[in-house]
Amino acid sequence: MLLSLSWLREFVPYTGEVSALADTLTMLGLEVEEVRNPFAALDTLVVGHVVKCAAHPESDHLSVCRVDIGAEAALDIVCGAPNVAAGQKVPVAPVGTIMPDGLEIKKAKLRGQTSCGMICSERELGLGEGHAGIMILDADLQPGIKLSAALGLEDTVLDVSITPNRADCLSVLGLAREVAAAFALPLTMPAVQVRESGEAFTQFRIEVDPALCPLYQARLIRGVRIGPSPAWLRYRLLAVGLRPINTVVDITNYVMLELGQPLHAFDRDRLEGQRIQVALATEGMAFTTLDGQDRVLTARDLLIWDDVRPVALAGVMGGANSEITDQSSSVVLESAVFDPASVRKTARRLGLSSDASFRFERGVDQVGTSLAMNRAAQLMAELAGGQVAPGVAKAEPHPFVARTLGFTPAKATRLLGQTMDEAFCQSTLERLGCTVSAAAEPWEVVPPSFRLDLEREVDLIEEVARMYGMDRIEGALPTVQKCLHDLDKVDPTYAFLSQIKDWGVGVGLAEAVNYSFVGTADLDRCGVNDQGRVLICNPLSEDMNVLRTDLAPGLFNTLRHNISQDSTRVRVFEVAHTFVQDAQSDTQTKENNRLAILLHGGRFPGRYPYPHGQSEYADIKGLVEHLLGTLHLSGSFCRTPEHPFLLPAVSVQVGHDMIGWIGRVRPDLADTYLARGEVWYADLDLDVLLRLYGQTQIVFAPIPKYPVIRRDMTLAVPLSLPLEQVVHTVREIQESLLDDIFIADIYTPDAGTAEAVRNVTYRFVYRHAEKTLKDKDVDKVHSRIAQHITGQLPIRFP
Amino acid sequence: MTNDIIGTLESLVPELTQALGQASSLDEVEALRVRFLGRKGLLAELMSGMAALSPEERPAVGKAANTVKTAMTVVWEERVQALQSVMQDQALEFFDPSAPSWRPDRGSLHPVTRVMREVCSVFTGLGFEVVSGPEVENDFTNFEALNLPPEHPARDMQDTLYISDSILLRTHTSPLQVRTMLARKPPLGVIAPGKVYRRDSDITHTPMFHQIEGLLVDTHVTMADLRGILTAFVQTVFGHDTKVRFRPSFFPFTEPSAEVDISCVICGGSGKTAPDTACRVCKETGWVEILGCGMVDPAVFAKVGYDPDIYTGFAFGLGVERIAMLKYGIGDLRMFFENDLRFLGQFA
Repeated sequence: MLLSLSWLREFVPYTGEVSALADTLTMLGLEVEEVRNPFAALDTLVVGHVVKCAAHPESDHLSVCRVDIGAEAALDIVCGAPNVAAGQKVPVAPVGTIMPDGLEIKKAKLRGQTSCGMICSERELGLGEGHAGIMILDADLQPGIKLSAALGLEDTVLDVSITPNRADCLSVLGLAREVAAAFALPLTMPAVQVRESGEAFTQFRIEVDPALCPLYQARLIRGVRIGPSPAWLRYRLLAVGLRPINTVVDITNYVMLELGQPLHAFDRDRLEGQRIQVALATEGMAFTTLDGQDRVLTARDLLIWDDVRPVALAGVMGGANSEITDQSSSVVLESAVFDPASVRKTARRLGLSSDASFRFERGVDQVGTSLAMNRAAQLMAELAGGQVAPGVAKAEPHPFVARTLGFTPAKATRLLGQTMDEAFCQSTLERLGCTVSAAAEPWEVVPPSFRLDLEREVDLIEEVARMYGMDRIEGALPTVQKCLHDLDKVDPTYAFLSQIKDWGVGVGLAEAVNYSFVGTADLDRCGVNDQGRVLICNPLSEDMNVLRTDLAPGLFNTLRHNISQDSTRVRVFEVAHTFVQDAQSDTQTKENNRLAILLHGGRFPGRYPYPHGQSEYADIKGLVEHLLGTLHLSGSFCRTPEHPFLLPAVSVQVGHDMIGWIGRVRPDLADTYLARGEVWYADLDLDVLLRLYGQTQIVFAPIPKYPVIRRDMTLAVPLSLPLEQVVHTVREIQESLLDDIFIADIYTPDAGTAEAVRNVTYRFVYRHAEKTLKDKDVDKVHSRIAQHITGQLPIRFP
Repeated sequence: MTNDIIGTLESLVPELTQALGQASSLDEVEALRVRFLGRKGLLAELMSGMAALSPEERPAVGKAANTVKTAMTVVWEERVQALQSVMQDQALEFFDPSAPSWRPDRGSLHPVTRVMREVCSVFTGLGFEVVSGPEVENDFTNFEALNLPPEHPARDMQDTLYISDSILLRTHTSPLQVRTMLARKPPLGVIAPGKVYRRDSDITHTPMFHQIEGLLVDTHVTMADLRGILTAFVQTVFGHDTKVRFRPSFFPFTEPSAEVDISCVICGGSGKTAPDTACRVCKETGWVEILGCGMVDPAVFAKVGYDPDIYTGFAFGLGVERIAMLKYGIGDLRMFFENDLRFLGQFA
């Protein structure tokens, strides 16, 4: 809401600083976002006196003028306007001026004649449409004074942000009421006196849908002259960002901005019959609004009809078939109240938000409709020569009924935590226009008709706090009480996800955060199942139209972005939800906390003293094993043929629980994300991990007292035999002396040939729990194990 | 014969001593050990000749051989030690502390996570408990229960991404107020960090961002408590000199409602970063808005079955990216979701 300070001052005699006014409004909850001079662009323009005006010697349409602008030397200005003449007072833009359209005035030579400025038309000044010639000013003006002073353009505009509950502040009057209350200043209402003449306006019948239109009233003004409004009115509209159109339309806009009541003017001669109806549209019917757009309506849109056809979308926009034109002379002036929800639905469905609909949606002051209608009628008489017909055509199925609210000052104190004394409460509510009967508690408080937002006691408490100064309430630190019986309801999710993230950071990964939505094409490209996807029905774009069923596309985008920024090494993780449809859920969606890890490029930074080498399966598997170890879990890793985008793909299980997959991103897919080398990926279900982690318990095992004996055994293991199989087979015999077994080294002598085998050195660690082992004890066991595994598996000694 | 052998044996000692004196590396010294003392070395060779001796001759030769072996071992070990000590000295002399290191990768926590943690830890320290909930919500929890009935103009404030007529991506973390209150009875103090979504994308808006919601409900919670808690939060996160300002505002689910401003962290509240340079962050006002809050609206209590005559409560919601931008001086919101490693790496 743009508030003109000069306009405000017509209602309330505020004489203080603008900054103090802005601060006060802001601290009342009417945030002033900006204070500006609406005509700042005209700041350097001055009034000039055309002393001499001669035809340009080289041109048949230019004039060479000498213009006195109060400075010592008069300016020579070449002017192309046909109406320029000696003796005129004109607006002059000196050299250096930046015009409202951005053009800079420079010293120029026009066909050999020097020009040191510009004499301006109304349109060039942004003050109107006049462009037939230069603007001619009042002859009495002193040359050299500022143009803004000469035209009465010196104003200040405050851009006030109005919260949706304060419909009453969408007007000069509404803000003036607040200013009056805050500064204890008197409020002056405009004097409205309608002089009626001619034949009475009584033949019109008004019929309304009582559910959607509690009040509809109208006046008839005959004989209006349609033309430009007087300058002061146009300038005032311009100051608050409205384009002047013609007297009648400008007056309806002016009164709406001033009093908050949207008005609509119909051309009486274009209305059929003697009746106005406010009734719903029929499904699918077409209607052309005055912006020339053809609209298709539904049976929920409220219309204004004349005797035979719709003439306006109620509260939203008038119809092209009845709008005021240059030929109009009789005006039916509507001042009504429409159901906020109905206006809102129509305006939103049609994407048609107008100043009128904005106000109707938030609620207008039903009692104030008459004042606004009469004020506009009076202005049409005064400024456009209209004659206001006697009488008002009106239907009011639901007259305004004021609410009576209870109010107990102690409750305000209790809620605010700051003492609000009774006298302050009473005077505050009264200053805000409430009627207060404080004889007994609770008090009876009747809010004014324009404060539709005051519906409950708590709303009155807010008013008291607002006027007291919410910022004056002193802080206190409360104790957070807890229920003993809720202690077991502590939600472990946040702490667990934090732990996972800390792990990721600890192992050197960067945490990424991607949007939860991607495009269906992204999921399709990854080949993931298209069943159960959660689609957004009004996406911002096609590449954000589906919630991730897999974190991969997001992390792949992260990969692409970084490769495109010259990164050769990308090691990232993300913890986020995936989403699939779930008819059982109260949100129709099952959400799953997942962890995804992506590795690409060097295992180490590519510099001394790190060795070379790219990330490979061992790296991603190692990270997952490390994570599981951190959680006191251990996983088994099995090759799986079924994964949409990992090849090889390996499933990860903990006990019987499937917790995710690791593997290499298919090269063709990686390629589309600019990755030339291998991309390794892990995807783990954190909800399952959280459950499993919740079941783990650390049980201390005594530290062994006796030393170990280590023995190595090198075996030729065919490529077809999983390395871990050897360990499993060793463990089958449950040899109690065997403390540990691991692979010490692998050597593949004939790598790349069909006969390739791996020479794998397994290291066996033997220990006895109660004594120091002797070599000969170990020899026996060691050879028994060797026999067992070479008997069970297709392995041999090399 | 015997004396010859013994003489030859004994000559090995000075021979080795001399050779060791000329050896300058551990490798050469090791080669000498192999040559003199190895299994096929000079000593072993001479000893293999013992087989040809008579049993009477053997003890004397054997004894000499042992003496020689011990002597050779001693001189060899002395030489090794001397060489090692020289090399150690050399190594120490040329030790280069500026040599490049082998350092483990440093991971990084996303700035959103960092800020969420910091904020949550302030509140958990005050006794609040962290809760989480779904990001896809239904109309009831996201809007209706929060006193935002259909066609309410305040729904304009949060343009929504819909899954269906009644299912949507949560536009704020406030539905967690509803879920928590439906699941529990007062007293309760919870804090709920999470992702939220709006149908908005431009230079200062991303369609996904993060909020933290706080809620305290008990029998005597006041607006003064709200101010106290939020002052504690602001001064912990932004420093103890930070000023806090409460300004009336409007949210459908709180009444009274307020916006909280803090003194600008860039210009310190002066509105200027230099005597004649306007602060761009606070637009010269000296204040920056950081969160919205208020006393839980009785209509919300009614929806969750709490008696508003018994209970009062406060709620607040803050934008995590906004705090992160102020705290770290990040100018462009969109950087949060590009995941550029040069950005992420700064939050290690």
